[in-house]
Amino acid sequence: MIDIENLQLIIEGKEILKGIDMHLRPGDIYGLLGPNGAGKSTTIFALLGLRARESGRVSVLGGDPADDAVAIRRSVGVMPEKAGFYEWMTALDYLKWYSRFYDSKSTGRDQGTMLENVGLGKEAQRPIGTYSRGMKQRLAVARALISHPKLLILDEPTNGLDPKGRREIHDLLVGFASDGKTGVLLCTHLLDDVDRLCNRIGIIDNGRTRLEGSITDLLTEQRGGQRYRLRLENGPDTGNLPAGMTVLGHEGGWWRVQVQVKPSEGPSSLWGELWGRGWKILEIRPEASSLEEVYMSHTGQERHQAQEVA
Amino acid sequence: MMNTTWIIAGKENAQMLRSQRGMVWLLIFSGLLSAFSLLLVSNTELSLLDNAQVVYMMAGTVMAAGALLAAILGSDAYAGEKERGTLVPLLCAPIATNALLAGKVLGLLAAWGVMLMTSVPYLWAVGASGQNLGPALFYLVLFGTPVVLGFGYLAMALSARTGSVMTSQFTTVTLLMLSASPLLIGPGLRGTIIGRALDAVNPFAGALNTFDSVIIDSEPFSAQTARFLLVAVWLVLCLLAARRSANRPDFQ
Repeated sequence: MIDIENLQLIIEGKEILKGIDMHLRPGDIYGLLGPNGAGKSTTIFALLGLRARESGRVSVLGGDPADDAVAIRRSVGVMPEKAGFYEWMTALDYLKWYSRFYDSKSTGRDQGTMLENVGLGKEAQRPIGTYSRGMKQRLAVARALISHPKLLILDEPTNGLDPKGRREIHDLLVGFASDGKTGVLLCTHLLDDVDRLCNRIGIIDNGRTRLEGSITDLLTEQRGGQRYRLRLENGPDTGNLPAGMTVLGHEGGWWRVQVQVKPSEGPSSLWGELWGRGWKILEIRPEASSLEEVYMSHTGQERHQAQEVA
Repeated sequence: MMNTTWIIAGKENAQMLRSQRGMVWLLIFSGLLSAFSLLLVSNTELSLLDNAQVVYMMAGTVMAAGALLAAILGSDAYAGEKERGTLVPLLCAPIATNALLAGKVLGLLAAWGVMLMTSVPYLWAVGASGQNLGPALFYLVLFGTPVVLGFGYLAMALSARTGSVMTSQFTTVTLLMLSASPLLIGPGLRGTIIGRALDAVNPFAGALNTFDSVIIDSEPFSAQTARFLLVAVWLVLCLLAARRSANRPDFQ
């Protein structure tokens, strides 16, 4: 549904996207992660043909946004980060008006049902200006879904929602993608949302894709660099470590280490080698490998390098 | 594309009415015309003006007010939507950039139409029960409309390019004031080389001189060809600028 290869994009002489790769298949809920200013929103705008690329290949639903932007947008539901509405309109009138851009045959009943689905059925006739932020977020989701799109793109959809509201939006998204024919691109900084919803992720930082793949594979891969907490009988010699091991710190009587071993081998031999080098290990506790670790280990690298050079 | 254009135009018109912005503008416009009419009939010196002269002045005022409205609405067209966060949802919908621009302009055209209709009783009243009313309305439509739409397009071009209502409004209104200066500087200065050169390239002056020519001097339309060309070129240039900016608006 989305295939991006080495997308580069320049805005006002500044290279914003330097090499974005993304592959989203039908049925995927794809989490696009990255720090603020990484280029997530710009990538979305490039997908919709709102930003012209400098180079690279972009295909959305089989079309090129540079040539078929309007046709692509007809099949894509978008919830932008800023959920702007005409506040003098009622929610029902607004959805009726907006859906006319997609399908002139849709009826007021469709829009009413959609508002019911996002929990705004009773507020449908109220002017949007009287809505809370959370209600506007729900209305934005309804707006994205109203055209029954093949692809749904959501930029920070659960911002400003309470836990119940977040759960309802999660349920809507899972329901939307459950037929296996549609796809969801979820752009967020909330790793919890990604953990709950997504099967694939892409991490971008400073305009480049740092990592892409299925969450299961990435977490398995990350375990090759698993972190452990070690409780020791004595003070160890941190200057004499076996290959593949790094000491991360010492906290509350525990030594935190990261070991790089092949998943097939496991760390047992490493512990034996450590014991031989004077590390009298009393207890070993693995730290759960999480999405957060994957995220942290693939973002901020260029900034850190720049700081080191400075 | 036409369908999309009408959907946007419909929203623009509804917004003018239901957000009360349009009603406020209409009240201000009516108040301005009422005050001007009152001045024309009650002021000792102005009441001595020739009937055609009075209609000519009123027509110029209507066109200036229309251009001012165009500057305001045009500036809001893209930058106002951006500032309210409503531009991105529009751009994400399957709307061609030209359709969006056309919808906005149709909204502006409707507002100008309402202003023209509002001005009819005033033109009728100050023209001593309808004298010169026909030529005044005809030439307001024929020459005033391109001038007003041109300012609207120009404001939209700036609005889309800069993403700032303030910048667009300030620039367009300043240009409008410069264009309307023939109204202010008086016939003496307009007779000089500089005044004539300004008139030759100034679409506002072109339309105004046409009003003068047809309402006061009763000259035929054939004598207005050069001026008509001037306002048409102005409209086309502003349209091209707006289309260019609207293709890549500042929305982020």
